[in-house]
Amino acid sequence: MTTRGIDYDRLTLKDAFDLAILVEEEARDRYEELAAQLTLHHTPAAAGFFTKMTGIEEKHRQQLQVEREKKFGSEPRSIQVELLYDIEAPGYDEVRAFMSLGDALRTALASEVKAHAFFTEAVRNVKDPDAKALFSELCEEELEHQALVKAELAKLDPTPNGNPNDYSDDPVAL
Amino acid sequence: MVDDLILGMAGSGGDGVVSAGESLLSAASSEGYHALMTKSFGSQIRGGESSCRVRLSTNKVLNPGGALDVAVALNWDDFFRFGAELPLSVATVFIYEEKAGPPPATLKERGVMPREMRAVPIGELAKKSAGTDKAKTSVVLGLLSGWFGIPSTAIARGLKKKFGNKGEGLLEANERALATGIEYATAHPLAEQHTLALPTKSGPKLLCDGNDMCAAGALFSGVQFFGGYPITPSTEVMQTLSKEIWKYGGVVLQAEDEIAGVGAALGASFAGKKSMTATSGPGMSLKTEILGLASLAELPLVLLNVQRGGPSTGLPTKPEQGDLFQAVFSAHGDVLRPVLAPTDVSDTFKITVEAFNIAEVYQTPVIILSDQEIAQRKEAIDPIDTSKLEVLERRRPTEAELVDYSRFKLTADSISPISHPGMKGGNYLGAGIEHNEKGEPTASGTMHARMNEKRFNKLDPLKKRTDLFEVSGDPKASIALIAWGSTAGVCREAHALAVARGLKVKLLVPYLLYPIAEEIYQSFFASVRSGLVVELAHQGQLYRILRMFTDVPRGLKSLARSGANPFQPSEIVSRLAEMSPEVN
Amino acid sequence: MNAPAFQAKDFKSDLKPIWCPGCGDFGVLQGLYRALAAIGRPPHEIAFISGIGCSSRIPGYTTAYGFNSVHGRSLPIAQGVKLANPDLLVVVAGGDGDGFSIGGGHVAHAIRRNTDLTYLVMDNQVYGLTKGQLSPTAPRGLQTVTSPLGSLEEPINPLLYVLAYGAGFVAQATPADMPGMTALIEEAIRYPGFSFVNIQSPCVTFGEDDQQLKAHKAKMKTLASLGHDSANQLKAMDLARAYGTELYTGVFYRNPNPPPTYDALIRLRQAEQSKKAVPRNRILDAYLQK
Ligand SMILES: Cc1ncc(C[n+]2csc(CCOP(=O)(O)OP(=O)(O)O)c2C)c(N)n1
Ligand code: SF4
Ligand SMILES: [Mg+2]
Repeated sequence: MTTRGIDYDRLTLKDAFDLAILVEEEARDRYEELAAQLTLHHTPAAAGFFTKMTGIEEKHRQQLQVEREKKFGSEPRSIQVELLYDIEAPGYDEVRAFMSLGDALRTALASEVKAHAFFTEAVRNVKDPDAKALFSELCEEELEHQALVKAELAKLDPTPNGNPNDYSDDPVAL
Repeated sequence: MVDDLILGMAGSGGDGVVSAGESLLSAASSEGYHALMTKSFGSQIRGGESSCRVRLSTNKVLNPGGALDVAVALNWDDFFRFGAELPLSVATVFIYEEKAGPPPATLKERGVMPREMRAVPIGELAKKSAGTDKAKTSVVLGLLSGWFGIPSTAIARGLKKKFGNKGEGLLEANERALATGIEYATAHPLAEQHTLALPTKSGPKLLCDGNDMCAAGALFSGVQFFGGYPITPSTEVMQTLSKEIWKYGGVVLQAEDEIAGVGAALGASFAGKKSMTATSGPGMSLKTEILGLASLAELPLVLLNVQRGGPSTGLPTKPEQGDLFQAVFSAHGDVLRPVLAPTDVSDTFKITVEAFNIAEVYQTPVIILSDQEIAQRKEAIDPIDTSKLEVLERRRPTEAELVDYSRFKLTADSISPISHPGMKGGNYLGAGIEHNEKGEPTASGTMHARMNEKRFNKLDPLKKRTDLFEVSGDPKASIALIAWGSTAGVCREAHALAVARGLKVKLLVPYLLYPIAEEIYQSFFASVRSGLVVELAHQGQLYRILRMFTDVPRGLKSLARSGANPFQPSEIVSRLAEMSPEVN
Repeated sequence: MNAPAFQAKDFKSDLKPIWCPGCGDFGVLQGLYRALAAIGRPPHEIAFISGIGCSSRIPGYTTAYGFNSVHGRSLPIAQGVKLANPDLLVVVAGGDGDGFSIGGGHVAHAIRRNTDLTYLVMDNQVYGLTKGQLSPTAPRGLQTVTSPLGSLEEPINPLLYVLAYGAGFVAQATPADMPGMTALIEEAIRYPGFSFVNIQSPCVTFGEDDQQLKAHKAKMKTLASLGHDSANQLKAMDLARAYGTELYTGVFYRNPNPPPTYDALIRLRQAEQSKKAVPRNRILDAYLQK
């Protein structure tokens, strides 16, 4: 399991919001970081897509944030970011210089699948009914996201375009 | 009456001639004489032959001197092993152990036969007075006191220091041996009187060697960290600091090698502390890479290189001025680091303080080039007036400068305020890679050029430091004498002798060897038509560097010779005389 | 519950890593941010020292004071920093080549001095920065640009190496297990003395396929799951022998009774000796002859 020390027995609705917000935050930050890496390494199409993902994750985060504030105002978080790794965020090893847009989409898709699995598990484990309801909602959303990315994938030219590594220059020694 | 006396003694290590020399030195210095002692050993760690030279004078002693006024041989083989270091003249009073037999033919073959050859039953006198012939050197000290007027009370004090804590009986035995020596001398006067005049100015003296003065200078400057690896002839600096530095909140780290030593020292400097390392040739070679890092990261660091004969292991216990090229040029990349050289024991103190000041103010590594002779010769010197010595610190950022701090900010004087870990707001990346003002890595040629300019420009003020040059003699003189390091002492004496002979010679001794202060040299050269740059290294390295950076007068020549073959003032004077139109 | 003093992002600098996308070092960096946040020392009290290599770039990507020095010399420099100011938190990082080839001689001495440092080696069994040459931890037979016919040498075993010299804290981690790695880095930093974490951090550009994070995920085993008692030094050495074949993560050895650190001892010595200090203008009196 990718979470550490989450006590589902005691998880409240506020915690569920915070957990979900942290998941979106991590994903947003990771996409932003990966976009920056790929920009620096001349992989603009994938970088562009990750930048787009950064925006999407940020939007989700904001929606959740608004909901949370409506319900709980500015009560402090009791969940720590240090507990979370790679829930909706693609792993660092998923990207490569010169990766294709298709690969970038597939990476994002895999991450949405990961996130869906996480929330499904959360629904199963959590006791608080309101929290359970929130996680179920999020599960649905993750499915929608998957559909979105799949649609993007479908738009891509399906003819194979060769392995980018066969065309790139050798890496540089520093 | 004489006002200068040069003694040389040789024996086996078991005879204790070196420790006799030390007693003599300490006795003379406590009476207010200026004194200087050098030692020389065979290559055995213990049980080899050993010799020492002691020069006593009523005036400042400039160098170990040339031919001996007094020679003491406890055994012929040992004496001849140190042939070149113990040169004789016809005027030498030669004292030898009677039992060793008559002077062998070798003495005659060396070309000079001293007029006064004195066979003394030294061992026998020792046995009779002290009950053991081991007390030989105490008899010798008595002879020297009796014949040359070295105050016996002072020598007795020296004996007390040496034997006092080894038991009453031993001290008394040696005191008897000393008295026996004095009696013998009184009963057998020399053909010619050689009594040493009383010191002109009495008063306490400091008894120390160059390495002592480097360590003391470092402590005076507030050194907080020493990282190093033992190597002859620099180790004593580390040993002294190992005892002292803790008192002042500092640390000595005996590292696993020279690279780690200088690395740790640089780390301490990065952490904000005054820091140094010390070494000799082979260690210097290892430290070179990290020195480059210090230059690029603009971190203060003092590195002492006590030069010995090289390359490689070379002559570990002998002086040579062969590491100047290395100090100046051994770097990859286009870099300038200041190089300073003391010329004697006393100025090693001030040069060390200067090195710390330059390192801290200009945020640069500074190399002190000492050499085995200065570093290890013991001298009785006048106390050093430290009241006017300044101790300078690196420029730290102000509160305002810590807001949006730039570690390598381009400033008017090219010196940027330097922060250190622990200082809030000063966080930066130190690195060996080229950086921009913020300290961020860059591969930009423009930035590299700008930072290079900064690193060079900040050191420009050094080239105007006339106080780091000693110039003496008639400013219009047409003959120049130039020397650095331990050779300067010989040249100071040669200069005085040459002027006394009516030669138009002026002397220049640079303490700052690099960067080359072009204008200072150029104005010195204005009247010069000929002259000598005297160096104890086959290539004459300063001479070549001067030719590289200045318009050297055509008649200025290099007088260079491999290490361990010290120059004599007289030979320099004759070379100068050859150059002098007035005398020819 | 109190809000933590620092968050991971407080340790992230503006400098963009030059690492190849996919490099294991990104995960290490992320884990380090989080471990430092958990430790809670402000960035300006942290000195982060490295040598040269891809991995050695890491200090620049943090907001701590960093020193990206020269190849192989991070440990001596770090010891100088720590001894000069024991109040600092000193972290050292670098590659397998930096630490166990050119700098290998320094490791033993850092351990025997037991200065309170945390040494993180990002072990990728290759020279990344110089483009894929053989590294000292590469397996025998590995073909690289400098061993095109296969290496003829046995690798160094970094775990056994540091254990043999008596390091008080020895662990292995991989960014394939981020929470595990983060916790180990944190624990290493908290250990009072020299601590070492070998982080298997794959090189995606020159590394072997079976050394990538996906492979790690498949084969890693925690030492805890093997029931290893980290106070058992001999057992730790036994388990460490599997370096290169098994991927064990967790604490191999943690000295249950940490001896005093070098930096603590020098403080004591300084305090005790400070009574003997003389004013600056009296330093030369030690050489005065009376
Ligand atoms: C004295 C010296 N020799 C060689 C180099 C070239 N060099 C730079 S990094 C490196 C090896 C890097 O390998 P490693 O330490 O494993 O780090 P990685 O890049 O794999 O993270 C080498 C040989 C150098 N910078 N300095
Ligand atoms: S070469 Fe290898 S070690 Fe270096 S940045 Fe790229 S992936 Fe990482
Ligand atoms: Mg490597």
